[in-house]
Amino acid sequence: MSEIILGIESTAHTAGVGIITSEGKILSNQRSVYIPDKGEGIHPREAANHHSEKFPILFKSALEEANLSPKEITLVSYARGPGLGPCLRTGATAARAFAYAHNIPFLGVNHCVAHLEIGLLEGATDPVLLYLSGANTQVIAYAAGRYRVFGETIDIGIGNGLDKFAREAGMGFPGGPKLEKIAEGDELIDLPYSVKGMDLAFSGLMTAAKQKVDAGHSLPSIAYSVQETAFAMSCEVSERALAHTGKTELVLGGGVACNSRLREMAMTMAEERGVKCFVPEKALCVDNGVMIGWLGYQMMAADYEITDDDNRVNQKYRTDMVEVTWR
Amino acid sequence: MKFRGAEAIVETIEWNGKTVISKIRNKRGYRHPTLEKRLVVERLRSESRIMERLLSQGVPVPAIFSVNTSDNSIFMELIEGQTLERALRGKNFKKYLIQTGQLLSQIHSLNVIHGDPTTSNFLVNDKIYAIDFGLSSMSDDDEDRASDLRVFLESLDSHHSEINGREIFLDAYSEEEASKSVLQSLKVLELRGRYNLMRG
Repeated sequence: MSEIILGIESTAHTAGVGIITSEGKILSNQRSVYIPDKGEGIHPREAANHHSEKFPILFKSALEEANLSPKEITLVSYARGPGLGPCLRTGATAARAFAYAHNIPFLGVNHCVAHLEIGLLEGATDPVLLYLSGANTQVIAYAAGRYRVFGETIDIGIGNGLDKFAREAGMGFPGGPKLEKIAEGDELIDLPYSVKGMDLAFSGLMTAAKQKVDAGHSLPSIAYSVQETAFAMSCEVSERALAHTGKTELVLGGGVACNSRLREMAMTMAEERGVKCFVPEKALCVDNGVMIGWLGYQMMAADYEITDDDNRVNQKYRTDMVEVTWR
Repeated sequence: MKFRGAEAIVETIEWNGKTVISKIRNKRGYRHPTLEKRLVVERLRSESRIMERLLSQGVPVPAIFSVNTSDNSIFMELIEGQTLERALRGKNFKKYLIQTGQLLSQIHSLNVIHGDPTTSNFLVNDKIYAIDFGLSSMSDDDEDRASDLRVFLESLDSHHSEINGREIFLDAYSEEEASKSVLQSLKVLELRGRYNLMRG
């Protein structure tokens, strides 16, 4: 019998409710994004307030779009981490309330792993995931029972870096897409390129970019150079992970993976290397409830036993803490 | 043999009557040409200089025969043997881990940071050879050395989680008095949040 899973995402600025079937058919993907005041970053408590205000509406519209009554949902899954504490607790509370009210089993899952698993829905079987978002910048692949982090940022997340730079250059949040829009040029401004093994660092790059603004370079050409440099670093470490693991599939995930230039570079790299590149549609790259539901289903389908621990939020719930029992 | 690495094509070729390794940094189409050129030249120069420094001090690394900046190639000695990654799956893994720890300590004592000391970048023959200095740099900072250790320990953890190699490796690494302070830096590095949960 087909199962219908409702997934709840609330790790950072996005409140999301998604509905997906056990066959991988997406019935609804409702999202609402908290936008901080101009000149500010995400305020965790205000983001959580936004989520608690929006969740009732999101639940309603998701069920309406899927044309389902709550009773038809067979599993509720929510992101228990990593993320901002107040936001995580809001999502967990929404999940519990909905599940208890309608007597549906529920479990908490790892947000980063969900980004990878939704890439498998695109047809990948054993990929390297280049996961680029605001807070997270990781190169992840499966090895010996876990999704291992082969490389990651050693300072700030790439999206966080782009946002900070954009904010300091006078643009609003989220800054990544705004930089993409204004990026223009073909001359590269020299910026720090920081790759250590399979790890990356972005803070020096962003500081240097800010200094280029102060030195009077044009914003479009700095934005262009920042993208060229930061994305080349990201592609390089994922290529290193592909070479190191011998895997032949690359999946992109995370909000920054919506960037067209990043997508283009990753696809070029994959093509030159002779590996397949899977790029989920943008609505599945960004934070969303669908991927949370899909991971919950994968776990339960493999007879995952829910423990008390699974239903506590964990702000520092790392990718490699999850024991992968479902593959 | 032909291997397409992350930044170069490495293959065996015939050169002056012997079989050698040719490492050519081929173009990365995704990278801006200016950036590509800058990185390739920087890395080629740094790699050959550092390897020559190690060679002159008797560290087991491949000998360099030729460096050519026009096609970004390096010709170097072919070292026979299997990668440490493979060798660690055998029963002699302890011995290899100890030798690798000592080797990395020796490299660090010459102020060289390997930059990518994963288990695929060591070859096991009569002794252990360090290869691929493509990301190497010069530094006498303990934190840079610790960062090398972390790369090694991480690859040990991701590829060889079944053997508990961490202690064996670190003990061998810190046999030399000068290397002891690096372990302190490693502790500090690993306490920086991102790493302290990683050895699940």
